[in-house]
Amino acid sequence: MRILVVEDDSLLAAGLTRLLTRAGHGVDHVGNGGMADSALRATAYELVVLDIGLPDIDGFEVLRRLRQRPSATNVLVLTARDAVEDRVRGLDLGADDYLTKPFSLTEFEARVRALLRRTSVPPGPMIVGGLTIDVEAKHVSANGTSVDLTVREWALLELFLARPGRVLSKDYIAQKLFNFDEQLAPNTIEVYVSRLRAKIEGGGVRIRTVRGFGYLWESFNA
Amino acid sequence: MHEAAVPARSIRRRLLVVLIPSLLFLVLCGGALTYLVALRVATSAYDRSLLDPALDMAQNVRIDADGPHLDMLIQAQEALLYDHADEMVFQIRDAHDRVIAGTQELAPSPALKTGEPDFYDGIYRNQPVRIASVRSGSGIYVQVGETLHKRQRLIWEILAAELVPTLLIALVAIALAWTAVTHGIAPLSRVREELLRRGPSDLRPLSEADAPLEIAPALRAFNNLLQRIRDSSAVQQRFLANAAHQLRTPLAGLQMHLEMLLRRDLDAEVRGEVGDMHVATLRASHLATQLLALARAEASDAHAKDAPRIDLRDVADAAVQRWVQRAIARNIDLGFVLDPAPVTGDPLLMAEMLDNLIDNAIRYTASGGTVTVRSGGVGAFAYLSVEDNGAGIPEHARNRVLERFYRVAGTPGDGAGLGLAIAKEVVDRHGGMLDVQSAATTGTLITARFPASAPDVTKPASS
Repeated sequence: MRILVVEDDSLLAAGLTRLLTRAGHGVDHVGNGGMADSALRATAYELVVLDIGLPDIDGFEVLRRLRQRPSATNVLVLTARDAVEDRVRGLDLGADDYLTKPFSLTEFEARVRALLRRTSVPPGPMIVGGLTIDVEAKHVSANGTSVDLTVREWALLELFLARPGRVLSKDYIAQKLFNFDEQLAPNTIEVYVSRLRAKIEGGGVRIRTVRGFGYLWESFNA
Repeated sequence: MHEAAVPARSIRRRLLVVLIPSLLFLVLCGGALTYLVALRVATSAYDRSLLDPALDMAQNVRIDADGPHLDMLIQAQEALLYDHADEMVFQIRDAHDRVIAGTQELAPSPALKTGEPDFYDGIYRNQPVRIASVRSGSGIYVQVGETLHKRQRLIWEILAAELVPTLLIALVAIALAWTAVTHGIAPLSRVREELLRRGPSDLRPLSEADAPLEIAPALRAFNNLLQRIRDSSAVQQRFLANAAHQLRTPLAGLQMHLEMLLRRDLDAEVRGEVGDMHVATLRASHLATQLLALARAEASDAHAKDAPRIDLRDVADAAVQRWVQRAIARNIDLGFVLDPAPVTGDPLLMAEMLDNLIDNAIRYTASGGTVTVRSGGVGAFAYLSVEDNGAGIPEHARNRVLERFYRVAGTPGDGAGLGLAIAKEVVDRHGGMLDVQSAATTGTLITARFPASAPDVTKPASS
């Protein structure tokens, strides 16, 4: 996929370019905001890795101009400045994700993968760990063995798949799975999670409990 | 006037030290002057009435063969010499200075030779007396004396009539001066109270709006000083923020290349060295991040009246996503007990504080340990706390862990000793307290307490 790297620091830009190229993407690099703006007008990139601190027009402005045009380009903002404030401002302007410099390679790759997955939902079933999940057909199999899930267990599984790498709070799960009229016992969510856990944990995935808060989906050898 | 003891360099005391003796001196001068005037008035008034019996007696001295003698009935003498207040005496001497009538106990007049009526002070039976004397043509000399009671009473009455109001005026003047000074320095008291209420880093100018003319220049000079301090610390913070920011991009590049290198098939020795470089880079990155956080905390104005109301529970909620993966990577059970904790403040700084507390807890707790984040409200306070069951902070270091760049000797890991300093700075900015409890066996509990946000919490509380 075509990726534009907008970064004025040559060391970091070289690293990013090499990494993404090795991952099999077509990578262009520009070192300032003006060129980034032109490149984004000329080419339909799937992803732009956008630094905020640029020598001419800053990354926010490039982002603002990009979002004024109809485009499906995903934006991963890199910031070395006031992390939280830039994050909020970037997301307000339509960035899809952010990373604060410095970041680890695995973190960067995970974000890029997640963003690219958005643009291209591969047809057919998803493979997560040892699970094969066919969302269309509502069918799951663990290591080739079919697993029967109830409607609520399906909904729960989809919640986890929709937000990979995020901890889901019990409140959030309750809100998504049940309507306001339903009276929930304090341990209702725990019960559903442990049922789902029992059914799929053979398949190279794990639902980890974050004590006092919620659950985190983990998959191995993904 | 709230203080029991007026401090040594009190304006009021100095005023009184000058005012009381001056007023006292003036009152005494006035009293002396009045006394002299009163004496004069009393003397001239009563002298005239003392002369009359002397003249009467002089006219009633007859000279016959036996020589001069007083031709007057004893009743007439008594009537003549009666006085309701004073004792009166007389003496008549002939030309040879022999006493021919009256008391022996009056000395002859010192002005015996003159012919005019004369007045002078004398002594009669050890009492001071005022004496009027006349000498007739035939050399007869008459003295009439009276004690001084009514004269003295008159003098005292005049004195009292003058002194009492004068003293009252003096007292009122002192009271007015005291009140005026109290009123005059009231703006200073307000300034003092405002400064006492402020946090350690609140450098906003003081209001000059209702300052009196005399105090305004001092306030202006003080605000000027505050401004200069603000400017220079802003320059310093900007420098720190810029330096930290400028460091992060090259560090990001370095870290990225090292991590790419570590993915290659390296021989063990090279891998070890690159690994060390990687750790050093992470450490430098962490330091740059913390310096930036510190500069940001220092530059903030969390005391601002428009600081939003936030819930520390939300701050902790948001931290979950940032820390769970890192805790898992270190095999630490990161848990949460979150209840609503409403406060007024800067959510970004609060997040920065919590990040540093969690980072410390995870950093200094061994694999398999437990870290628990709590939020909640107790009475007038809302709190955010992070507890671990790590090694604890040695007792000798507990007072110093809040200092910048202080690291407990022998601590493993790559911390810079800024985490708690950042937390402290944020807590200070919000008028809160940072409490560190630690024991070698049970680990460390760090609690940040803030005034709970209640209606009107931004208005100065009456103390």
